Amino acid sequence: MDPANRRSDHCESPEVEPSYAGSAGRRGETGIVAHSSDAQRHAFEREALPHLDAVFRVALRLSGNQALAEDLAQETMLKAFRAWHQYRPGTNVRAWLLTILRNTFINEYRKRRRATAEVNVSDIESFTVFPEVQETDPEGRFFEQIVDEDVLKAIDALPDEFRESLVLSDVEGLSYQEIAEITEVPVGTVKSRIYRARQALQRVLYDYAVEMGYIKPRK
Amino acid sequence: MTIERRTDHGCREAFDRLYAYLDGELTEDQHEAVRRHLAACRDCFAVAEFESAYLRFVEARTPSGRAPEHLRKRILRSLLFGERRPEP
Repeated sequence: MDPANRRSDHCESPEVEPSYAGSAGRRGETGIVAHSSDAQRHAFEREALPHLDAVFRVALRLSGNQALAEDLAQETMLKAFRAWHQYRPGTNVRAWLLTILRNTFINEYRKRRRATAEVNVSDIESFTVFPEVQETDPEGRFFEQIVDEDVLKAIDALPDEFRESLVLSDVEGLSYQEIAEITEVPVGTVKSRIYRARQALQRVLYDYAVEMGYIKPRK
Repeated sequence: MTIERRTDHGCREAFDRLYAYLDGELTEDQHEAVRRHLAACRDCFAVAEFESAYLRFVEARTPSGRAPEHLRKRILRSLLFGERRPEP
């Protein structure tokens, strides 16, 4: 097997200021975005705004709610605009935006996330699915019967730190290094979270497929 | 799972590095070692095929949705004129 490199866009490490979240998180007395020069706005629109889709997708998975995700994405872009002077041209703007997004979510939005029945990752991570299906469906064709909505629901049920790692990795295709910088943990921790999140999600999807009769459980 | 018992012949190592291998996150040497092991070990190859299919499936099921147009407009407007941010 010659696996294609799934990451198409290894970027340079983002030069995110460690103190960024704090300084960018402050809002002016009026809460109004200061008028900036046209040149600055054009640069922001050209370089940052194309990443709004990624910002919105991650916001949606973090917040689990369309309206919150829109507010979170808007808040992120406005904070980024205010802090645009801190951004160094040529560095990874997407990772920079996602760092702001994550900090904003944790500081201001997490408590508003609707409560979901959370998967207990520790409870299920010791089970691997492959032995269950190696006789009947070693290529995992049963996955194909599960629809988008149920996959997203299963992702949404993962605990925060696993969900964010999985979304950044498997939905947005970021490298381990980028995820480490965004989530402020060592690469080893990212690796382990991605492993556990994928195994947990796989188990949830397998159990669901059994429940729906897409695959027969091993006797 | 039989992998747990097979501690020799590089199965354990290949298994531990499988996701990093599929993600293209290994050094050239590590990548080559896993690739060679998978080419030689039918059991590990089968696991790798399954995990690879699973990752492709998750990727395909999480569509690259776009931000709503009204949100884009709202943001552009606030960049241009300045606007109160949404209150949390």
